Amino acid sequence: MNQMIRTPKRWLGLLFVLLIGVTYLSIGVGAVWIGPAGIFEYLIGGDAAGQAYIIENFRLPRIVVGLLAGMGLGLSGAVLQGVIRNPLASPDVIGITKGAGLAAAAVILLYPGLPVLALPAAAFSGAGIVMIGLYVFAFRRGVQPAALALIGIALGAVCQAGIQFLTIKFPLETNAALVWLTGSVWGKDWTDVLLLAPFILIVAPVTWLLSRKLDVLNLGDDVAEGLGEPVQKARLALLALAVVLAGAAVAVVGTLGFVGLIAPHIARQIVGNRHTYLIPASALTGALLLVTADSLGRGLFPPTEVPAGIFTAVIGAPYFLFLLRKIQKS
Amino acid sequence: MKKYTSYIALLFLVLLLAACGSEDEGELQESSSGEDSGEQETRVVEHEMGETKISGQPEKVVALEFSFVDNLASLGVSPVGIADDNDEERIIEPIREKIEDYTSVGTRKQPSLEVISSLEPDLIIADMQRHKDIYDQLSDIAPTIILPSLAADYDGIIDSFQTVSTAMGMEDKGEEVLADHKEKMEELRSQVPEDENRSVLPAVVADSGYFAHNMESYTGSLLESIGLKNAIQSGDDRYNKINLEQLVEFDPDVMFHMSSGDQTVVTEWENNDLYQDISAVENGEVHEVDRNMWSRFRGLISSEKILEDAVQYLYEGR
Repeated sequence: MNQMIRTPKRWLGLLFVLLIGVTYLSIGVGAVWIGPAGIFEYLIGGDAAGQAYIIENFRLPRIVVGLLAGMGLGLSGAVLQGVIRNPLASPDVIGITKGAGLAAAAVILLYPGLPVLALPAAAFSGAGIVMIGLYVFAFRRGVQPAALALIGIALGAVCQAGIQFLTIKFPLETNAALVWLTGSVWGKDWTDVLLLAPFILIVAPVTWLLSRKLDVLNLGDDVAEGLGEPVQKARLALLALAVVLAGAAVAVVGTLGFVGLIAPHIARQIVGNRHTYLIPASALTGALLLVTADSLGRGLFPPTEVPAGIFTAVIGAPYFLFLLRKIQKS
Repeated sequence: MKKYTSYIALLFLVLLLAACGSEDEGELQESSSGEDSGEQETRVVEHEMGETKISGQPEKVVALEFSFVDNLASLGVSPVGIADDNDEERIIEPIREKIEDYTSVGTRKQPSLEVISSLEPDLIIADMQRHKDIYDQLSDIAPTIILPSLAADYDGIIDSFQTVSTAMGMEDKGEEVLADHKEKMEELRSQVPEDENRSVLPAVVADSGYFAHNMESYTGSLLESIGLKNAIQSGDDRYNKINLEQLVEFDPDVMFHMSSGDQTVVTEWENNDLYQDISAVENGEVHEVDRNMWSRFRGLISSEKILEDAVQYLYEGR
């Protein structure tokens, strides 16, 4: 344990290597299995026994989307847990993904004829609208973290009710919306990568630059103010970043549960509480979770594709219970 | 303080630029896809997602909805790949007889693109609601047409059949099949007496609820076409989850139940006096029908079979 705390950098490096390894193997997993040697052959420009087309058009875009979305959700969760100072905070809990989900369900069920890009645009706006709601209800008169969490839960409940209403109103068409609501990397192509990459690749470093603020906020409002930190402004800025990260991820892969909640917790176990390490570690863990979940979904029962969201919930929920127990004990 | 404002301003500026950039990319890809077909005589097939050029007669066809399996079987074509939800049993008997062995490409919700591409098809037929998001990827594998199936009524199913026969380069054969089909439908219609005034209600009965199909739904519109009036003539939704009170209110004279699972809401309702008072229940006109045939297939062959079923229950059972 002591060693762990002393060398978070080394752990971070290890996590990175693990992610690279899993990603590499993941390229080979699917209806057609490709061994590590075949993958290497592809990477140096070969055709991997005729599987190059499958790798290039189906596997790689999925994996890249999975990496980016996993990072986005992991980061968003880490930031929110820091801002709200509550280990239960996550994009799901404060209503961001629910807002995106309601907007997406409305597009899928009410306007099935809209162009394909309408869906991510709507989902992202839905997340944005929840953010505006949070601002209006929680920020105008100086925010308390607990109030922020409660208002987020309330907004999320409203959106959830909307989703329920839509699925009851359109029982058969709901099938199409369910895939999205479970969250899945299935069928993602390079267009989706281009849609998602700018958001994550730009916002992630900005978040990391602000990780010192999260450390300061964690000391409590009074201490933070005393250290010269404009608490409310910092909180709002960080919250906005978290919304952009989660909103972008959810817009592309759907309302994948648990990654935003679990990834920061796992990361905290590994690198400790300092956000300089926790932020990148959460991003790596989120990516690792999602890529693993998608590989399982693709490889376990081909040709059936199991949505990644099912695996993240199956892995995530028990781990979370274990975690709660551990926290209670200590 | 200033630092944040500038961070965030910069951030949004970059995001805006990035968003514009990626949209252009998307359009480019769309316009270039689907144009790589060969030089043989080509025809342009119009469908829900635009136009697709198809040359020659496709030999390897992948069907991502059961409707299209039905359409292909009607034309005497055997698809190489079917999204059969990994359950061969879902292909109804009269159609399984007509087609040869095929490869399952997974679920209709999320068919495996990898398996589809490994089959090297030369035509893919997909559903508007389920598969429009992967149209680009499918088009990249092979010429793809997207048709309504999940959301179509009986007329829509006939339109889709015609589009499929055009896409297959089998218009003449298609006309023939359709003429036979219409004749068959006429014959079935003639078995329904002019003065038939009983109302019918087809419904999917599941553990999660009673899903009534109204006059505009596929099964409902099909039954209407031979003069069987649907009990639900109102409402803008084709499929409605209704409760027992509403069912009593609609009071159908005949009910066709497509059950999923042994335990359904009806198992519970049966103990209720209200349910026993519904005309269909009083008259013993509640009929269990095959869900695969009655609601999943939505094609020519299944349409005929559904009506044969219905006519048999209504006029020969007595």
